[in-house]
Amino acid sequence: MESQETRVLLIEDNPGDADLVRLRLIEGHAGVRVECANRLSDALISLSKEVPSLILLDLNLPDSRGADTFRKVMEKAPNVPVVVLSGQDDEALAIKAVHQGVQDYLVKGDVSSKQLERAIRYAVERQALLRSLEMVRKQQIEFKNQFLSHVSHELRTPLTCIHQYVTLLLDGLAGPVAPEQSDHLKTVLKSVNQLHAMIRDLLEATRAESGKMRVEPRCVSIGELIQQSVAMMQPTAREKRIGLEMGLDHRIPLVCADPDRILEVLINLMDNAIKFTQAEGSVIVKACLAEADPDFVYVSVTDTGRGIQPEARALIFERLYQDPDAVDNNRSGLGLGLYICRELIRLHEGRIWVASEPGQGSTFTFTLPIYSLPRLLAPVITYEGQLRPAFVLMRVDLEPLTSPPRGNWREIWQVCLDTLRRCVYLDKDLVLPPVATSGTAETFFVVASTDMQRAPIMTTRIREQLTRVADLNAKATLRITTVPVGLAAPDPGLSLEKQVERVADRVTEMIMTGLQEN
Amino acid sequence: MGEGSMATKETKESVMRKPKILVVDDDPDLVRALRLRLRAHNCEVVTAGDGYSVIATAQKEHPDLIILDLGIPVGDGFVVLERLQSSDTLSAIPVIVLTARDPQTNEERAMKAGAAAFFQKPVDNDELLNVIRVSLPHRRSPEVPMLS
Repeated sequence: MESQETRVLLIEDNPGDADLVRLRLIEGHAGVRVECANRLSDALISLSKEVPSLILLDLNLPDSRGADTFRKVMEKAPNVPVVVLSGQDDEALAIKAVHQGVQDYLVKGDVSSKQLERAIRYAVERQALLRSLEMVRKQQIEFKNQFLSHVSHELRTPLTCIHQYVTLLLDGLAGPVAPEQSDHLKTVLKSVNQLHAMIRDLLEATRAESGKMRVEPRCVSIGELIQQSVAMMQPTAREKRIGLEMGLDHRIPLVCADPDRILEVLINLMDNAIKFTQAEGSVIVKACLAEADPDFVYVSVTDTGRGIQPEARALIFERLYQDPDAVDNNRSGLGLGLYICRELIRLHEGRIWVASEPGQGSTFTFTLPIYSLPRLLAPVITYEGQLRPAFVLMRVDLEPLTSPPRGNWREIWQVCLDTLRRCVYLDKDLVLPPVATSGTAETFFVVASTDMQRAPIMTTRIREQLTRVADLNAKATLRITTVPVGLAAPDPGLSLEKQVERVADRVTEMIMTGLQEN
Repeated sequence: MGEGSMATKETKESVMRKPKILVVDDDPDLVRALRLRLRAHNCEVVTAGDGYSVIATAQKEHPDLIILDLGIPVGDGFVVLERLQSSDTLSAIPVIVLTARDPQTNEERAMKAGAAAFFQKPVDNDELLNVIRVSLPHRRSPEVPMLS
């Protein structure tokens, strides 16, 4: 730092103050170069060209005042130390700035060149220290996550071997097994499965922490997911003599959710509910709407178990939280399940919480966004308060040449969907969330803000990009059709919101008839 | 579990030969277990333990299907996939990847490289057998036999 030139960006609108500070800077230290900006906008331009060693900042400028000024400067140059130049009368604001990450402040008219030099030196060095600490912290987190990820993969190899041999024995492929031996083997298998689930959770939690968890929302029926998960959990509930029921309102609209991940959340919540409920108790899974929150569906799992103490409720969704009463119950798990649930729901832009009365039971509730076409369409089909002039509904059909199990195609379809999304303009076209169709073909719909004359440009682009998806040509045929979204002459009296709804209704109608024809 | 066999016993003209599966994994214990299970489902099993011998074994044995681990020595699973794909005689053989590696970072890559399916270890036996059944070239496994 000593040998290098210190570049100071002085952001100050008062020419007298600016000259004074510049003079102090230059007389105090030979290696200082000062650049001045007298407006925030000029300063931001200068910052995008060259990163200075330090910023001296007057908070009140012609185009920005107070706290806003340092927020904008720090957003633009997060790694550059900032020293605020404060007037006698706004020291309070300068102190507030220090709390929010500014390195220091100096009161104008009260500054000697020695003080200024020291303030600059300290600010620069403190900032460098902070940055290196932050870097070390990030490296440690990254190291820990890599380690956990590595460990959970390495554990899979011996686990696979145990699993294979236990199932070989159980299935009688290595000779007949006596009933008692079979029981013992089933116990081994149960523990193997528990271990497997723990390894999965460990990896999932690591992913959540490092922001690598993914969800792939589609347009799905939450009722079906609840039915599916209840059917999967019914044997466990029956074994413990717990009634597992559903309360489904059949008017529940479709939701935007990743079916596999929501199934995971439901099963996790039900598994906990059953675990903490005594025999003859009950667990109810419900889906309903809330008037106060019209954009979401509320899904809840209610048990008649022993409930959760108030102080535990705040912690229950945190990583590694263990119910202290459950620890003596053996096999309490890793304490990651609810944390993973929370992260999954958060990725769906929903919320999850718990209400509980100790001794009476608990209700875990989460919300999922309702699939609403007008809401999805509004930002792309309107421009400056008006509906765009024309729309085209584009349909992309991918028909498999053979009929493999659907599971194997999911990855390919996802690649197709991602490819489609890259082919359209984000601000004026919309690739609709995939519709769960019963057929073997996968169909994607795109609403494009274009007309029939220009639509071929887009279909060509889509065709070219999709045919580049590895192996798609060998596996499926591709058909793209475009239809204009025919709208009656817009009623000028109609609000924009209503017009968007009209387009959405029309698109839905076209999709429904299109799918029925197939 | 265990009743379904991979090959039908007879057709009009001749006795069908058993489907031949090449199992590639560097863990001999796992290979042995898979061999036992696949044999019980009426498959013939050949094995390889590294990337180098996969190609030679495949050329010699003409398997109907390959089960491939990604973390194998001497050219990992992706190298093997690439070599299989670029070979005129071997590119049609369906490959099922069975690996301990993370699907999030490997599944798409494996599918793009030509795999027919991807499973993370440990795998559910029924799921694996089902996918083997549907991935086998049709002339040798007309239908799931236990259904007919």
